[in-house]
Amino acid sequence: MNRLSRRDFLKFASVLPLGLAIPSVAKILHPLPFLQSRKKNVIVIVFDAFSAYHLPIYGYPRNTAPNISHLAERAVVYHNHYASANFTTPATASLLTGALPWSHRALHYYNTVTESFTDKNLFSAFQNYYRIGFSHNPLANTLLRQFSGNLDEFVPWNTLLLTTDGFVDTLFKRDEDIAGVAWTRAIKREEDRSTYLLFLSELYETYMEDKIKSFKPSFPRGLPNVKSHNFFLLEDAIDWVKRDLTRYPQPFLGYFHFMPPHAPYKTHKDFYETFADDGFRPPVKPEDFFTEFNPNKKLRRDRSWYDEFILYLDREFGRLFAHLESSGMLEDTWVVLTADHGELFERGVEGHVSPLLYQPVVRIPLMIFEPGRTARTDVYAKTSAVDLLPTLLHVTGENPVDWTEGTVLPPYSSVEPRSDRIIYSLNATRNRPEAALTNATAMIVADNYKLTYFFGYEELGNGVERVELYDIAADPEELNDLYAQKKETGSALLGQLKEKLREVNQPYT
Amino acid sequence: MGFRDVSWVAARTNAWDAIGVFSYGMLSAFVESFLFFLVMTLLGFLLPWQWSIDKRIGSLSLLALIVSLWAVTSQLLFLWNVGLPVGAIDFLRNSGHPLRILYAICLGVVTGTVLLPVYLFLRDKNAVAIMQNLLERISLLTVFYLCFDLLGVIIVLIRNI
Repeated sequence: MNRLSRRDFLKFASVLPLGLAIPSVAKILHPLPFLQSRKKNVIVIVFDAFSAYHLPIYGYPRNTAPNISHLAERAVVYHNHYASANFTTPATASLLTGALPWSHRALHYYNTVTESFTDKNLFSAFQNYYRIGFSHNPLANTLLRQFSGNLDEFVPWNTLLLTTDGFVDTLFKRDEDIAGVAWTRAIKREEDRSTYLLFLSELYETYMEDKIKSFKPSFPRGLPNVKSHNFFLLEDAIDWVKRDLTRYPQPFLGYFHFMPPHAPYKTHKDFYETFADDGFRPPVKPEDFFTEFNPNKKLRRDRSWYDEFILYLDREFGRLFAHLESSGMLEDTWVVLTADHGELFERGVEGHVSPLLYQPVVRIPLMIFEPGRTARTDVYAKTSAVDLLPTLLHVTGENPVDWTEGTVLPPYSSVEPRSDRIIYSLNATRNRPEAALTNATAMIVADNYKLTYFFGYEELGNGVERVELYDIAADPEELNDLYAQKKETGSALLGQLKEKLREVNQPYT
Repeated sequence: MGFRDVSWVAARTNAWDAIGVFSYGMLSAFVESFLFFLVMTLLGFLLPWQWSIDKRIGSLSLLALIVSLWAVTSQLLFLWNVGLPVGAIDFLRNSGHPLRILYAICLGVVTGTVLLPVYLFLRDKNAVAIMQNLLERISLLTVFYLCFDLLGVIIVLIRNI
């Protein structure tokens, strides 16, 4: 073996400083594409109605997500991340377009985004990627279908179901959303405890139940389902993702939107009754004006069922993550775990279909697993679902887009997060999408304060508005409305919100 | 129920979608009615040919009415969450043959509420006339129902063009 000569050593030593400098230079120039030997894949995992309030990493007393808590140790964990709306259509539209509901206008159930946004979405922004979109949730499916021109694979919502009312979609292809809703009302007794059909509903239910009877022992509260008789197993969906990820050309962008822990809360037998007698007593909150009169006892029971459903998704997410890791895919892939919106079990209200925008329904989890990351970073700055699109473009070196209302998230942004960052959220289900906002609930979060503004609601009285102000740092449970006490702060925030509403209403007035 | 759904859907999407939900409901109810009619027609072939047409139509109509009332009762019990009392469930559990007992009870109830009225109807000479009278009145309502159905079919067609 040749020995290293003095001359060779000196040559080697002369390039050493350059070698040391490369990582620093790369860091500065990152994420310019020419520096990346290969583009990283992106996987966005969305769990529907997954509230940050119910996760131990955000302070929830129940251990609802041991796997996610464990995996958080190597992720960027966002503690004050907000959905842009309180139900799937507007919230998912915001996540996918990077625009707030008053811009994309998907305000109602089964709405699509306004025409100008059809080609302004996550998938069109990642046009150099192989793009896959799937959602268990038909509302999100409607949006994915609208964006299917920018998808390489649009996987319809009923693809991964054990049983399906798929013939309705096939028969009424051009109107499948409304036909599906009507079919649910016509046939499924559990939906509203009554149906249009007297005989067929019972026969059909018996037939469908028979098809899934072998799975029933694993789900004591019944099999997870989406509308009517569309039963599914999260295991199947995760196995499908695991299997198909190896098939996609790289780099790929996969958007996978799974139904749990959305109602009905039907967990796996392994987690059944886990929290039934754990002694946990959530704070009792006063009935809201928009109460649905759910008694506290029911809210407590359903909260436990919801928490047990989270355990199920936690296990499945853990399984997916373990696969990504063992297959080596994690080294080349950005993985995002988030939700479209949260869920509420308080003030007489259950679920998320209400005009209310309390923290459990708008604060959602966000964790970003960066390729190669081994340590945890906690981000306490206020962030919004609309930030995800610009952030993913930034970290993958794709071109930024000009339509987004979000910003690049810390710690990936080259600038410090703004302390005066304002977060908005909106519920406008009663407002016509093509009209100015005159009947809605709008939320603004700035500094430690959150102001919620209800306007145009008949129930409040003609012309009567409702405003609430909370110090969410000191009072995260939103028990003390400060609007009457902190007039100055309240007026400033309300003025700011009204100004924003005036601005977004401009094209519609 | 349909009218309640119209306002529910209208509040969440728009009036046209709400009308759509109602129309699909009418369409599916029409399909169910048609299938029910088919079953009743097939049952008609099992009745003795010696009976007059009025008697055959009357007995089948009575059967259809009773079965419908049972279906309505079943939905109401489900709606009001009425089940077997705990004592009855305990009794069945301890009996050793819960299914046999349940089937026997069902047979008794069906015999009492379906077969018995039909039998009595067949024996009573005035019953056929009463039933015909009732059917004529119901037919008027049926015309309204068919109009709604037709409207529903048209709306469904428009939505799917």
